[in-house]
Order: sequence, then structure tokens, then C-alpha cells
Amino acid sequence: MAFYEPWNADVASKIIAAHAGLEGATLPIMHALQEAFGHVPDAAVPLIATALNISRAEAYGCVTFYHDFRRKPAGRHVVKLCRAEACQSVGADALHAEIKRELGIDWHETTADGRVTLEPVFCLGLCACGPAALVDERPVGRLDAETLRDALAERH
Amino acid sequence: MSLIKELDYGTPIRLSEDEVTLTIDGVGVSVPAGTSVMAAAMSMGTKIPKLCATDMLEPFGSCRMCLVEIEGRRGTPASCTTPAENGMIVRTQSDKLARLRKGVMELYISDHPLDCLTCSANGDCELQDMAGVVGLRDVRYGKEVANHFETDSPLALPVDTSNPYFQYDPAKCIVCNRCVRACEEVQGTFALTIEGRGFDSRVSAAGVSFLDSDCVSCGACVQACPTATLMEKTVVEHGQPEHSTVTTCAYCGVGCSFKAEMQGDKVVRMVPYKGGQANEGHSCVKGRFAWGYATHKDRITKPMIRETITDPWREVSWEEAINRAASEFKRIQNDYGREAVGAITS
Amino acid sequence: MADGATRLFIPRDMAALALGADGVVAAVERETAKRGLALDIVRTGSRGLLWVEPMVEVETPHGRIAYGPVSARDVADLLDADMLNGGAHSLRLGRPEDIPFLAKQQRLTFARCGVIDPFSLEDYRAHGGMAGLERAAAMDAAAIIDEVKASGLRGRGGAGFPTWIKWDTVRKADADRKYIVCNADEGDSGTFADRLLTEGDPFTLIEGMTIAGLATGASKGFIYSRSEYPQAFEALQRALAVARRRGVLGASAAGSGKPFEIEARLGAGAYICGEETSLLESLEGKRALVRAKPPIPAIKGLFGKPTLVNNVLSFAAIPWIMANGGKAYADFGMGRSLGTLPVQLAGNVKRGGLIELAFGATLRAVVEEFGGGTLSGRPVRAVQVGGPLGAYFPERMLDIPLDYEAFAAAKGLLGHGGVVVFDDSVDLAKQARFAFEFCAVESCGKCTPCRIGATRGVETMDKVIAGVQTERNLNLVRDLCEIMTDGSLCAMGGLTPVPVMSAITHFPEDFSKGSRLSVAAE
Repeated sequence: MAFYEPWNADVASKIIAAHAGLEGATLPIMHALQEAFGHVPDAAVPLIATALNISRAEAYGCVTFYHDFRRKPAGRHVVKLCRAEACQSVGADALHAEIKRELGIDWHETTADGRVTLEPVFCLGLCACGPAALVDERPVGRLDAETLRDALAERH
Repeated sequence: MSLIKELDYGTPIRLSEDEVTLTIDGVGVSVPAGTSVMAAAMSMGTKIPKLCATDMLEPFGSCRMCLVEIEGRRGTPASCTTPAENGMIVRTQSDKLARLRKGVMELYISDHPLDCLTCSANGDCELQDMAGVVGLRDVRYGKEVANHFETDSPLALPVDTSNPYFQYDPAKCIVCNRCVRACEEVQGTFALTIEGRGFDSRVSAAGVSFLDSDCVSCGACVQACPTATLMEKTVVEHGQPEHSTVTTCAYCGVGCSFKAEMQGDKVVRMVPYKGGQANEGHSCVKGRFAWGYATHKDRITKPMIRETITDPWREVSWEEAINRAASEFKRIQNDYGREAVGAITS
Repeated sequence: MADGATRLFIPRDMAALALGADGVVAAVERETAKRGLALDIVRTGSRGLLWVEPMVEVETPHGRIAYGPVSARDVADLLDADMLNGGAHSLRLGRPEDIPFLAKQQRLTFARCGVIDPFSLEDYRAHGGMAGLERAAAMDAAAIIDEVKASGLRGRGGAGFPTWIKWDTVRKADADRKYIVCNADEGDSGTFADRLLTEGDPFTLIEGMTIAGLATGASKGFIYSRSEYPQAFEALQRALAVARRRGVLGASAAGSGKPFEIEARLGAGAYICGEETSLLESLEGKRALVRAKPPIPAIKGLFGKPTLVNNVLSFAAIPWIMANGGKAYADFGMGRSLGTLPVQLAGNVKRGGLIELAFGATLRAVVEEFGGGTLSGRPVRAVQVGGPLGAYFPERMLDIPLDYEAFAAAKGLLGHGGVVVFDDSVDLAKQARFAFEFCAVESCGKCTPCRIGATRGVETMDKVIAGVQTERNLNLVRDLCEIMTDGSLCAMGGLTPVPVMSAITHFPEDFSKGSRLSVAAE
């Protein structure tokens, strides 16, 4: 699991400034902010806009377009389960239903204790060893409910 | 008198010394190079159905109503984004095109409230016009579908009435991006964007209300909107105007041309006139919206004269006022020389 | 490396990691330390024999010997069986190049993948790398493009457009700045060739892009990778750093006297960015809305400049072509599909992985000979080729040759070469629904047929599946498919009907409620 620092506009401004010189810097900046804070809050939008000399609307439109960027913090662990066809062919749908039941949450939701956020993902390139998942960015192949339990247990 | 309807070529007029000649529906037409097939068709009076295109904005190609067939080309390209070329043979009507346009319209209407009779754009709605043009008679997707207009829909958003001059009703948005593009291309403020993507896409003033956004209330977005999504509050309140006249804005010295759109002698809205050479269909907030002075009780409608600054104003006839101004200019020039008179207007 | 230490090759490829490769490394280190054995572990990419990953190879006097699939708990046993000298064990696979799955392939693009240390330029050169770039550096731009033309290479991203035409258009475009953009946004389900190559042999991609830079006069390249591939992005950055340090990139790229630099960028969860104009918008830092064409990117692309956009596999084919000649490449393949296609075999299949083959082999050969049938052991019922926008073919149609035109004739597409196998438990009505759902999730939302049509498709398929006015709703789906096919702005909406209509056409029994109920009741 990753540890994120609480939102801090000064730190954010430094991160933004470090990337602002790139050509088309919006995505690198948003990735860097998310890596630091675990999400890209609305408060970041005007900072990005000012640094890149774009409008708030442009920055806001961008952050809301890409599914990766969260506007609220996630749970302590993020589990991304592949929903694409290759994983479906080896029973992903049933597995996902089981996992959702076990965690008591649906896609994009976080368990009440804040431990796990569940996200769908469409293809991890692990199509010959599905069902596949990313558990806190760590790839897992031939996933079953037990493997996921173990993977999460290892990570508290 | 009637409402002045300006021609919309669909894409901006292109100027070029080179001409291209093409055939549209069997008729030859020559247009400046760079002109779109859509505008070329309009130049000969053929209106290709459209929703996201307007000649105030660069072509975008999103609505897919303006599809045409071009000999030798695969598929059905959009006429707004396809430049006319020499020798092109274009068909704007065919059974296939009719099916596609009707099918696209059916999709639009499946996510649009059917409240035309009580809608503020009733009679002045491009979506309504196009539904009529393509002959849509039935929406087969049913009622229990995802939508943005039923109040209990999870996608429904409240009407934003924060701006004093116009309102934004997301339920009626067809995501043509005309408002977003008008804010960027016509006004240059970039206050608007689309939030989210796919079916969830909706116009947004950067996640805040229009009043709290970078919006300068120029009204370009309202003018660009083909539906009632962005609508002048005066039209919402009073209804559609029935006649209009071209006039010049009474504010600053730019001299923007407007269509004063009225019901009887009452102005319902002021719409920048595309034919106005000073403003080419755009304006600022004052001329566009702040015309309440027109009927204000304090408005001065007769000329007045006073001898000194301490004297009270005295109403006079226009003739007297103009004679007085002329004679005073002459007197001052006699007393102090020709250069003693300067002029400024605003 | 310790002198005389045995070299052990263990993949760091994402699939190998997903199957426990890091655990194997830890176990090997633990066990060899315990036994006082000197060992040099080289982390490679994957050779693409994914059903035996993690596949561990040991260097012996008789060549490399492979073992797999190795788990951490096998390690002590393997060492006991003298694995370090190629000893016998139930997991011993023999020389990798003799494994039929690999022996039957024509590996041109993927010759080095899984073999070399991905970040060692020496290793890369020792296996033939850089020969193409060095040759290209001494040629003039038009001559490079002639070589690409002679190869018959067509875009490997899916569209199959002749590569040289794009290159030549960018070369001839007059501009103060031009760009090379590598589309590494490999989002198709069932595909992983870009990922394997990026992780296992990134210098090939860098070399190919640099050759493209020399051929077109571009000075800057971008690689747009996916956030779903964290390892690939890391590998790219590492390899780019090496390439910069060693002068492959820089003010005089590979000693050519011409500047060329490459930057890797990360996408942010948007399948649509695999569409080239959407990708360019994203690189510019915007919402990734598809652009209307014309203008084409080769004339007006990234930041309005002439831009060459090619897929990873297109660029990666270039070093071989430049080193061996376009003619030699064109000797592989059939008809207008020349060279090799890296097929990716995936899904419910016994032996999944990367299969680089000359065009012309049949789908059946891929699924049956290479794949060995389904993983579940049940009969193959459907095979989807070309990703989520590709057709579902029934078993009886597997004799289609791998060829762009043959697939188009069968109302399908080769796409990026992904082949996903389904056994007889698949419900094609559900798959058709999923095709719409995927489109609804990933649509950029610009054009109406895709933005609204995909969502309506899901809803209407739900009615079909529920048996509500089945025939009427199925007809509506057919009508919708026509609107999306002919009305959409790009291939996302335009090709979503391909899986839908192929499912309806080839598996009609799944679309009438009665028969599906009986399958479900099995």
C-alpha cells in the first residue's frame, strides 16, 4: 500500500512547477500529484491552470476525462480487476461477483473500513494468464478469491 | 416585420484566390479553396442537416447529421469537416443517408425531454428543426433508459441560474460543444469545458456555477447553443420574439450591430448581428444583455441644454440642440482657433 | 558478475511477475546462498511462452536450458536436481528454441525478447541490435523510406495502412519541427505484444523510432504508454536513460549528426487514446477527444506539426528491415500482408503467448497447434480476433488465414493480432452486450453514435437477453449497428458493431431466449 501525504498547496505547487516545462505537461502533472497525494483534488485545478497558462475549465475538463485520476482519496489498497474479454473467457465475471460479495462493495466503491477500493480495468496485458488483477500496482495472474485474500493479507 | 434569420453556412467563410469546382446533387458549384462541402452546398442553397456546425465556429464533426456520400470515398464523411475538392461528386440525399440521419436523431431524442410545447426554445430550436427535417416519428429505445432529463435520473443535474442574464439547463444539452467552442474561438475566455466523457459528458463551467467561473457573460455560448440548454432569461420569461430590427449598440464607440428581437415594442433579447462589420456576430456583455436601460424610467430620450454647469437642464427640440452644438463649435473656433475643438465619442 | 558464476535468466516481464517471478528470484537467492553457489541472475523480458511462466533459463555449455513454470517452492527441488547444469526435472523444458511453440515461429521482431538483458546495450548489439540504425544513419532519408516501402510493412496497430506512405508524407512536409509518436497504448483485450517488447527489448523500439526520426526529419519522439502497464513504463524510462547516456539519442543520434530525443509519457486510463488523434490530444495535455480528419497527423499532428504516428510493433519491425533489407522482410507473408505478425494467443487456451508468424498461417493453426485447445479442456466455441472491436468467429471458421484482406472479407479484422479463445460455456449474447458496454465506458463522448449509441446498445441487448420483444429489439440492435458503423467519427464507435454483428450472425442461437436458458440449465 502506498502512503500519501495530505493535500498541501505549497507541495503541490512545487510538484507542478517541476513538470510545467514539459510539452503538454497536464497529464504528467496530474500523475505526479496523484502519486504524491493519492488523488487530484479540485483545489489542484486552479494551480495547474495558472502554472500552465491554461484555463480552469481546460484543466478541469482534463482531470474529469481520464479514469485514472481520482478526485477523492481511495482506500488503503486499490484492487483493479480486469473485466476484458480474455479474462471473461476464464471466468472473471463470476470471480468478480464473488469478490464484490466478499468485500461488500461494487465497482468504484471503498469498503466501509477504508481498506479496499475496487476498480474495474479493461486489459492489463495479462491475457494468457487471467483472471488478472493489479493489487496496489502489483500484477497478479490466475487470480481467484483466495489469492486476492492472500495478496491483501500480505499487505495489511 | 418579421424575425431576421441569418444564413448559416455551417462552417466559416474561407477566403482564397483559388477556386475549386465540385458537383453537389448533380449541380456544379465553385467555391474558394478550403470551403467545406457543407458550406459549398449552402452556397447553392442546399441545407445539409447539421447540429454541431455553425459558421461562427471551426468545424468539429461530432453530431454526424451532415453525413454525405462522395464518389470514390469510403463510407459517409461528414460534410462539415470535409473540404471541397475539384471534381468531387457529392450526394447530400440518399436512402442510406436518410436512415443514418434519422438514426442519429433517434439517439439524440432518446436522451432529450419531450417538452417542446413548454420549452423556452420552442420555435427556435435546431434540434426540433432537425427532428422535423429527418422525419423522426418514433423513438424505439423506450422509456426506461439512461438519461439526463428525468429529475430522478442519477445523471440529472439542476438548472444553473446563477448568471443574471442566462441559464444553463443540463437536461437539454446535446453535447455539441458549440458553447465550449464559442467561449474559446469567439470570445477567447475558455471558461467552459465538457466534464466527464462518453454518455456522462456534460457542459461545465469548470465544476463551479457559471457565476463563479471565468465566464464574462458575453453570451457567445448562449447564441451558439442550438437548443434551450443555454437560454437568455428574458426569453425564458417572456417567450420567443416575433420580429426584429438591426440596430447599433448604444454603448461604446465600436459600433456593434445587433438584432433587437422584440415582441411588439418590447425588446426580448439583443443578438449580435453577423453582418455587423465591427463585431461579426459577437459582442460584450453590455450590448448583449445590459439593455435594460432601453425602457428604464430614468432614460433620457430628449435633448437638453444648459448654459452653465450650475443651471438646471432644459429640454429642447432636436433642431435647437443641433444648432446650438454647431454654433458653439464655430464660436469656440473663432475665439481660440480651429484646433481648439476635439471630439471623442463613446 | 562473479567470475565463472552460472548465469540464470529469470523474466521480470509483467506476466511472469503476475505468476510469481519475483518470488522465484527470492527463493533462488535464498537457496543458492544457503548452498554457497555463485550465481548471476539476469532479469530478462519474456519469450512469450506464457503458460510456462515463470520460465527460468540456465546457461550451460550446451546452450540455455529452460525450466517452467517454476514457482518459489520448486526452487530447492530444482537445485537438488542440478538445474544449474541443466539437470533433469519434471519442469525441464529443454533448449527454449527447441520448444515447438517457439521453434515453429518466425521471430524477426521478437528475436531478442526474453533472451537479452533489456537494459544492456552490449547484449542488444551482440544479438544484432543497432545494425539497422547504423546503416540508416549513413543513408539519406528517401533511401530509408524506399527500404521500408520494399518491406511491404503495414501498420501493426490495427488499420494496416502502408507504413512508408505515412513516413514519406511526414518527410515531405515542410515544418520547423516534426514529431515521431509511438502509439504504445495497447488497450485491446487479448493483446500484449507491445508490452512484451517494451519490457523485454525496449532498444528495438528506440532504434526503430530513431530510424523514423532520421527518415522524416523529426527531432523529437514520444512514446505514449499505458498506466495499466507500470512495468513497461519503467522499462522504457530505464532504456531511454541508457540510450541517452550512450549517444543513441541526443544531439547526434547514433552518430548520424542529426538530433533525436525520445520522451516516454503515461496515459491515464482511456482506451480511446489508442486512436491516433485522440492520443495526440492527450499528449498535448487535453481531453482526448478524437479529431476529425483531414487534416491527417502526418500533415498537422502533435502541436499542429507534421507527426508520424505508428504502433510499437511497426517501429519494432524497422530495425530488422533496415538490417536485413526490405526485400528479405517481404519474403515472409502472403498477398498484400507481408512480413510477420506477432499474434497474441490468449483467453481460455492451454498454451497462450506470443506467436510471431509470417502472414498466411491459419487461425486454426494458432488456436490448435500452438494453443493446444482450451485451458478448460472443453470444446472451442468462439474465437475473438483483433481485440474488443474484433469479430467473434465460430470454430468452423478457424481456417481463415492471418491476412488483413482475408479477415476483412470475413467481416472481421486482424487488428493488433490478439486472439482470445472461448470454450462452449460462452454466451455470445452477453459478449455482444459487453462490446457495447466497453464502448460506453471508453467512448470519448464526442460523436453521437458512439456517445449515446453505445449506452442504448447495452440497454437494448439487456432486453434481448431478458427475452423482452426479442425480435423487435434485435432488429433495433441491427439498426443501431448500422448507425454506429457508418456514422461514428472513429473506429471506436465504428467497429463496436463488429463483435456485436459477428455474434448475432454466427451464434444466432444465443440471441433467442429459449435456447440460452437450456444452455444455462446445463
